[in-house]
Amino acid sequence: MTAEPLLVVEKLEVVYQRAITAIQGVSLKVYPNQIVALLGTNGAGKTTTLRAISGFLGLDDARVTEGTVTYRGIHLENREPYEVTRHGLSLVPERDKVFPNLTVAENLAVVPGRRGRSNRRMLEQVYHFFPGLKDLRRREAGLLSGGERQMLAVAAGLMCDPEMLLIDELSLGLSPVAVQSLTASLVAIRNELKISILLVEQSAVVALEIADMGYVLENGRVVLDGDAQRLLNHSDVQEFYLGHTGGDRRSYRDVKQYRRNRRWYG
Amino acid sequence: MQFAVNILVLASIYALIASGYVLIYRVSRVLNLAHGELMMFGAYLLVTTAAGLSSSPVVAILLALAMSLMVGGLVYLFLMRRMTGEMALAAVLTTVALGILLRGLILMFWSASPQHPRDTLGWENPVLMLPGDARISLFAALLVASTILVYAGLFAFLRFSRWGMRMRAAGQNPLLAAQRGINLHAVFALAWALSTFTGAIAGMLIALDSGLDSTMVMIGLKAFPAALVGGLDSLLGALIGALIIAAAEVGVIKYVDPLLADVIPFAVLVVMLVIRPWGLFGTREELDRV
Ligand SMILES: Nc1ncnc2c1ncn2[C@@H]1O[C@H](COP(=O)(O)OP(=O)(O)O)[C@@H](O)[C@H]1O
Ligand SMILES: [Mg+2]
Repeated sequence: MTAEPLLVVEKLEVVYQRAITAIQGVSLKVYPNQIVALLGTNGAGKTTTLRAISGFLGLDDARVTEGTVTYRGIHLENREPYEVTRHGLSLVPERDKVFPNLTVAENLAVVPGRRGRSNRRMLEQVYHFFPGLKDLRRREAGLLSGGERQMLAVAAGLMCDPEMLLIDELSLGLSPVAVQSLTASLVAIRNELKISILLVEQSAVVALEIADMGYVLENGRVVLDGDAQRLLNHSDVQEFYLGHTGGDRRSYRDVKQYRRNRRWYG
Repeated sequence: MQFAVNILVLASIYALIASGYVLIYRVSRVLNLAHGELMMFGAYLLVTTAAGLSSSPVVAILLALAMSLMVGGLVYLFLMRRMTGEMALAAVLTTVALGILLRGLILMFWSASPQHPRDTLGWENPVLMLPGDARISLFAALLVASTILVYAGLFAFLRFSRWGMRMRAAGQNPLLAAQRGINLHAVFALAWALSTFTGAIAGMLIALDSGLDSTMVMIGLKAFPAALVGGLDSLLGALIGALIIAAAEVGVIKYVDPLLADVIPFAVLVVMLVIRPWGLFGTREELDRV
């Protein structure tokens, strides 16, 4: 990579309730116009990493205690979420990703503009990538299907006029068709708007298919990283995230063997 | 007929004040127990501007209204801002302290003796005759009209304006609102400003109608059950709650005992809390947040 990275996370540590260390020493980089996958099983620390970048509220009782988050050279640790969004990083959260009692149009209209671009212009752009939302614009967001809701969430993230989208669990709970359409939209958004996407996924297939780079988190640490193709072919990823087992079922002993392997990596 | 007019006037007072409780609660889930004091503070601001500008009454009123709008915003920025995103209980306790502080300030600056800003401004308060041999004073009629205007304005603002939508969004999910780039502090400050503004309208009109002293805070307190009966996060609920409370109060004054007047709103509230604790129009899940 010759370009400067857009986002640099270095040795990040996040502590919940002043006691629970959720991630430790997480480092990653996202370059302009890249899709980067952040993989890992439940509880690995993916959401925590994204939330730490996007900012916590007081009620979260969470803090970045070590390390740095730098975006275009600007430090963003422990900033308020709205400031981070206005710097050009917008998050599509894992849960509660739309305002259920607001209509689709209202969900898009509440987003303040950035860089002097009008709300109308951003709306045109959003409807260009998600034409299906236009017909749904009067519907209350709480009545949308899972796929439509995710579409709206990504669209609202785009309304923030970001240079980088942080998406938490794109495919969780959605039908393969819906996932297919969403990933196609993400690729189009990246290609046409030249923005970067940091994509958190439990499904490595979904993410690595469209990603340039990937990181694998485990127990709050990065255990693997590299370009997407290399990760796809990596034996551990094949075994534990893609379920390719060469015929045998995985037994608990194999898992322990895997854990031991992990330690050599760590 | 007079009976209905009395209910309407009292209901307007309660509704106008209750809208302030609802605004702040709906947007920031904070119960503002200083609302009665803020309303009274607005009325006292008019006492001062009226004394200084007795020759141009309208300017005096507009100035006092603008000041109350600012007071609300400043209360948020200097006091409540620290509580944003923290536990609701801490915020509620802060408003209790604010109320006590305001009462002290009012006694210090304006003394406890009754004030009559309408006389200062040289205005009359003629009695208007209504059909059915009912009477209403000019400023009581203005109170009813203001309540209608304020509610229509608030409904339109929350429904159609971008900042109104942001207030609804922040009320539903402040974290998501912040993540969408909405400055929560601006939204909350606006809610406090509007709430204090509408409270001050009520306080000023009551003071213009019948004068004021520091017992005005009791009216603010009695409007609180109206907001709660309606469900605290619903303007429509506050409107209907105000009607129920006012009807009960005026009915008891007329048919039972006027001495019970101050107790009735709270009696209705207790009955309501037993039957339907989340209020007539409130959302059920709101309960555990209070
Ligand atoms: N609000 C919280 N308070 C305390 N611990 C938390 C909180 N959120 C997450 N954790 C802990 O942090 C770790 C990482 O969680 P998370 O980032 O949600 O993982 P993932 O998104 O990869 O499933 C988990 O062990 C989880 O229990
Ligand atoms: Mg997660």
